[in-house]
Amino acid sequence: MQRRHFLILGASAFFSAMLERAARADARPAKAKAMILLWMNGGPSHLDTWDPKPRHPNGGPTKAIRTSQRGLQISEHMPSLARVARKLTVVRSMTSREGNHQRAEYLMHTGYAPTPTLVHPSLGAWVAKKIGGPQNGLPPFVSIGGPSYGAGFLGVSNGPFVVLKAGAPPDDVTPATSSDRFARRQALLAQAEQRFAERSGSPMVAERRAVYARATSLMGSADLSAFDHSDEPQAVKTAYGETDFGRGCIVARRLVSAGVRFVEVVQDGWDTHQDNFNRVGKQLGIVDPAVAALVDDLDRRGMLASTLVVWLGDFGRSPKINAREGRDHHPKAWSAMLAGGGTRPGLVGATDAGGENVAGTAYGVPDLLATCASLMGLDPREQVTTPVGRPITITDGGNPIAPAMA
Amino acid sequence: MRNGTLAGALVLSAVAAFVGCNHAGPAARAPQAAATVRAPAPPDFGPRDVDAMLEKAWTEKGVTPAAAADDATFLRRAYVDIVGTIPPPERVVSFLADRSPNKRAKLVDELLASPDYAEHWADYWEDQLMGQARAADIDRFAFRLWLRDAFAKNTPWDRMVYALVTATGQNSPGGPRPKSMSEAERAIEKSPEPVNGAVDWVLKYRDTPQDWAGNASKTFLGVQIQCAQCHDHKTEKWTQKDFRQFAACFMRAQTLPLDGLMQKGQKRAIVRDIDRPLPRFMRNPDLVDIGRAEPTALDGTPMTDDPRESIAKWITTSPAFAVEAVNRMWGHFLGRGFVDPVDDVRPSNPADAPELEQALAKDFATHGYDWKRLIRTIALARAYGLSTSSASPVLWSRFRATPLGPNEMLDALIDATGIDDALRRMGRFDVDALTERLRQLYGFVFDVDEESDEQSFEGTITQALVQLNGRLVAGGSTALPGTAVARIARSDMSADKKIEALYLRTVSRPPTADELASWTKYFADPPPVSAPEVVDRKTPGPFRRVPETRDPKIAAVEDLMWTLLNSSEFVLNH
Repeated sequence: MQRRHFLILGASAFFSAMLERAARADARPAKAKAMILLWMNGGPSHLDTWDPKPRHPNGGPTKAIRTSQRGLQISEHMPSLARVARKLTVVRSMTSREGNHQRAEYLMHTGYAPTPTLVHPSLGAWVAKKIGGPQNGLPPFVSIGGPSYGAGFLGVSNGPFVVLKAGAPPDDVTPATSSDRFARRQALLAQAEQRFAERSGSPMVAERRAVYARATSLMGSADLSAFDHSDEPQAVKTAYGETDFGRGCIVARRLVSAGVRFVEVVQDGWDTHQDNFNRVGKQLGIVDPAVAALVDDLDRRGMLASTLVVWLGDFGRSPKINAREGRDHHPKAWSAMLAGGGTRPGLVGATDAGGENVAGTAYGVPDLLATCASLMGLDPREQVTTPVGRPITITDGGNPIAPAMA
Repeated sequence: MRNGTLAGALVLSAVAAFVGCNHAGPAARAPQAAATVRAPAPPDFGPRDVDAMLEKAWTEKGVTPAAAADDATFLRRAYVDIVGTIPPPERVVSFLADRSPNKRAKLVDELLASPDYAEHWADYWEDQLMGQARAADIDRFAFRLWLRDAFAKNTPWDRMVYALVTATGQNSPGGPRPKSMSEAERAIEKSPEPVNGAVDWVLKYRDTPQDWAGNASKTFLGVQIQCAQCHDHKTEKWTQKDFRQFAACFMRAQTLPLDGLMQKGQKRAIVRDIDRPLPRFMRNPDLVDIGRAEPTALDGTPMTDDPRESIAKWITTSPAFAVEAVNRMWGHFLGRGFVDPVDDVRPSNPADAPELEQALAKDFATHGYDWKRLIRTIALARAYGLSTSSASPVLWSRFRATPLGPNEMLDALIDATGIDDALRRMGRFDVDALTERLRQLYGFVFDVDEESDEQSFEGTITQALVQLNGRLVAGGSTALPGTAVARIARSDMSADKKIEALYLRTVSRPPTADELASWTKYFADPPPVSAPEVVDRKTPGPFRRVPETRDPKIAAVEDLMWTLLNSSEFVLNH
């Protein structure tokens, strides 16, 4: 960064100290211990969520309401989020180039556009690899309601532990037999493995044993109940909304309390090519109470400062309303929302009057992921070498979004 | 579909004419493309020629190859690699008893002739070509059936790829999504319009012709041209212009949906080419430069006349085409290709034993791109019959163990446990449909990461949990009526025979004396089974928690089954 400036200014102690501070800004100590990614699968309309345009024909019937954050207006279908808005960072100046679901989802999760030569790790996998999991047997990276994205060249052991049904214990964590019989079988298996390792000489046997050990330590974890929300008070369940996504948000909070580092919760159904306004209204009826309750709940428990919450989808949706009252894919301009974990509440950036383009400074997906990485204490510029010897950083040249960070 | 594909290919030209294509159908031209490379009576390059070349290479490198694997190990390996599952216990017994010197060759021929061969290679290529692609108009059943049919007929690889790259016509019979292969097959047979399953691969790239081009090049030629999509390649010769010109050949396939947006189930669509890049691609800033480029093959040959057909012909006659097929197959059988990864051929990633690779490729190309012939040569080469060992393999001097793939694992579990028979006997379930659901589950859970270092075992917690506690293994190691373990446990066989029967079914060999001794002891004095602690939550369906056996003598047999199904020896192809 600005090496030329440095030379021009000369190495006065004052300036060099300042520059050093600036250079370290990307790798500052972690503000966030954990991250919750609220993944809006299909691509939510920015115009009908965080960036309404009630005075423009592109805005459609969506009205804007005032929020607890001065100067921020959001969709009328987000009353709960309007209430907690002073805790939120809304970035309206996001942009990307990927308008195809698969490519966009890959980009949003990894910070890279897909290439056939390399499978990039998702941010959750980087967190799993670099920070690791808690000591209680829970995995570092959990995805609820969807598969998230894997670890690519970091190896599947750093990929997500996927729970498809939110709120209940994961599949297959209880043995099919009584626990003493399960323990007996473990001993019988250990013996068989020993024999095969000796006969085949394959190092894979020991490596496979290690994976089994992780599985059995999850089975025996005292914190396994973090996956199960049934003991939550009814008032909490009601606040989050009794939906799969709401339950997913409760479980995300429980998992983070139990030391899990990265949780993704998926809400599908945002691909509103037709009947956009009714469908977005329904989606928000699920998402709005859940996300607001999550932010409130984390705050009340004193966890918000150390938990980064990010709301994100495939792309924005076309400002022009199509003939089927729908909106199509629009990667050129869209919004993301962040909360907690060292973010600075407020509004960042804007789109033009019709919501078509970013007005002023635009941020790319790598910038957003670099922001998250940096808040989690990972250096977005650190180079790692892939198995084929290619140097690579966590995101494709992203720079943390300074106005979004405290 | 069985006899539908050829008919489908023949009527394709009719469909093409119907939808206004301006070229003759692919079926009409494919044989000509192939005919140019087929010379009469080419010399054979067989397993012994492979051995001679490798043995020379080993000597030059001072490598001592591992000892030959025993017959049981070879049998299991050949089953897994050629037909995608483990051998039935009777075959283990008969193979071990067979004293004829050419029994391995007979086995390989028997497997190549089996209907499971086509199933397995359809699975393999569906995975390679489709990956996790799912969309309302991608009919994965139609695609898999198309592949299965082609492998059942041992269609030459150049003709298959030609048909894939040039595919036009209708993707699916439409209607409700079938629950099983047999249901899908019936729907395709009944379809009034001919269905060309190959079209489903084209539909995967409906919006991303750049990925289509990149994946065709990578999969069929091993050339990762797509690295040059964004900028000139830093270390290789490919430029952005090369990429654009190549991708320009894939810009004209148009999808015409036949079903409305609100249509439920499997959506039908017709793919046809228009005479210029699709207008919607030309409005896309990422694609417009590709659309403006001159369609050109990677060697600079212009592909002016019908670019998709021309490029298909160019791909399937390019020398790299045979080399890549051989490399891929060698990698499948030997655990590592001549070039590794198998689809990344470039000057900075040179092949091991390149002369051998070239010789095999030449034999493959001059013998009609015949997969069965190639597989036979590889499977009967000495390298494939070596044992595993702890030393790291140099030039395939020892066999590399690899985990079973998702479908192999599922089929091995079903075959070893007989769980499908048990379910059929219960009579309440569509077992084919259930198997299909399990395929999806196993595909999801056991999808191994191709990027990872294949020398080490990479696994997830979920995979281990599915093996340890999942209902398939739990059901298969519980003496439910109809399962293999029930039959064996409740039979009047001696303990020795029961133990042997379970070893044969799962790890495809008889137990060693040591194993026999320790399990006989366990069976003679089985530990009591305590009452279950967890009450089942009411899971609907056949994979509800399996009731636990209380009879300790039966339970001991179940414990052995469970141990074997969870063992690395079962889970690895070794």
